[in-house]
Amino acid sequence: MWELTADGRELEFHLAGINNENFIMRDGQTGSWWQQASGQAILGPLKGTKLNATWKREHPATRVLKRDPTTAGKYAAANWEEEVAAYPVVTPRSPREPLKDRDLVVGVEISGASRAYLLSELTDRGPVNDRLGDSPILLMVFEGGRSVRVFERTVEGQALEFFAATGVDSGRIIDTPTGSTWDLTGLAIAGPLSGRRLARLNPLLDYWFDWKTYHPDTDVYRAGR
Amino acid sequence: MLCLLVGVSLLAVGIPVWLIQPFRHQTPQDLEVSYLLRRWSPVGTSILAGFAVFWVLRLWRGSPGILRRGGLSLALVLALLTAWFAQQNHFEWLFRPPAHPEYAPAEEASFLAGEERVLGIELKGEAAAYPIRQMAYHHLVHDRVGGVPLVVTY
Repeated sequence: MWELTADGRELEFHLAGINNENFIMRDGQTGSWWQQASGQAILGPLKGTKLNATWKREHPATRVLKRDPTTAGKYAAANWEEEVAAYPVVTPRSPREPLKDRDLVVGVEISGASRAYLLSELTDRGPVNDRLGDSPILLMVFEGGRSVRVFERTVEGQALEFFAATGVDSGRIIDTPTGSTWDLTGLAIAGPLSGRRLARLNPLLDYWFDWKTYHPDTDVYRAGR
Repeated sequence: MLCLLVGVSLLAVGIPVWLIQPFRHQTPQDLEVSYLLRRWSPVGTSILAGFAVFWVLRLWRGSPGILRRGGLSLALVLALLTAWFAQQNHFEWLFRPPAHPEYAPAEEASFLAGEERVLGIELKGEAAAYPIRQMAYHHLVHDRVGGVPLVVTY
């Protein structure tokens, strides 16, 4: 999801081609070409400009995009994930790569540093405290891999560490050193930090081959490192 | 001369179609070439089609045979077709953007199974969800959430 304002004006985008299995969009105002995965203009007058990503979250009062009746027959099948997983991969591969092309990763990028986290390694394993570049971050993958959350875990200049709360109160995490209890939206609901909110980061759930193509300097997270 | 005109036109629209097709590895040079051709082919092929019309009219009288006239007609049709194709966005033939995106409140979204995944956003108190099964077809949807203009991509 990208904010439409760049170069001080609102842009309109059209599908314009494919670059290594990730689509290119063309803006109608300057004709520049943009890469979908990075939100970056790759060719044309706005080359080098980047669109702002926004963060996502489910919400009970949400509105939902309806099916367009004129194209309803063309929508992806319910098993779209299996179909997409069977598509060929055309990007070059180095023999030293630690992941398979179609491994699903949680991609995180902060101020130029990129890291890929193998989705299956994080799923339902509780909070993962990591440090990317200079930023202490927190990752959580739950609901069998269907929900992915990434936060900055610095509050008032202090890096917190998070652990899963045990017992009946599932869906809660606890920080050290304050022992405050937090919910999975990053809101402290009890304890000294009650009412504080962690800053949310915008991860990209992606195939490894696509993530590495548009983040060539990425490294890969290994548990217990 | 006429063959050359038509040939250049066909290459100008054909090369980017081939270079930036799905499931082909693209190099940065492929993209540069495709971008330049897509940028200039609408104007270029129109000018070439104009020349083609001129040449066919000139040669028509001196070519009474059915074969030669058939060849001239074919060249003319090809030149006009490529000029027309250069103005089109064939990607939007395959993946049409929704003309007037409509939204349902969550409780009325019965077309959505509970397990179905969405791209979700909340911005300045407004929340919106874009089901992936629909986004995998449209790829691009323009919207405004919390007053902020957005493009939703998948």
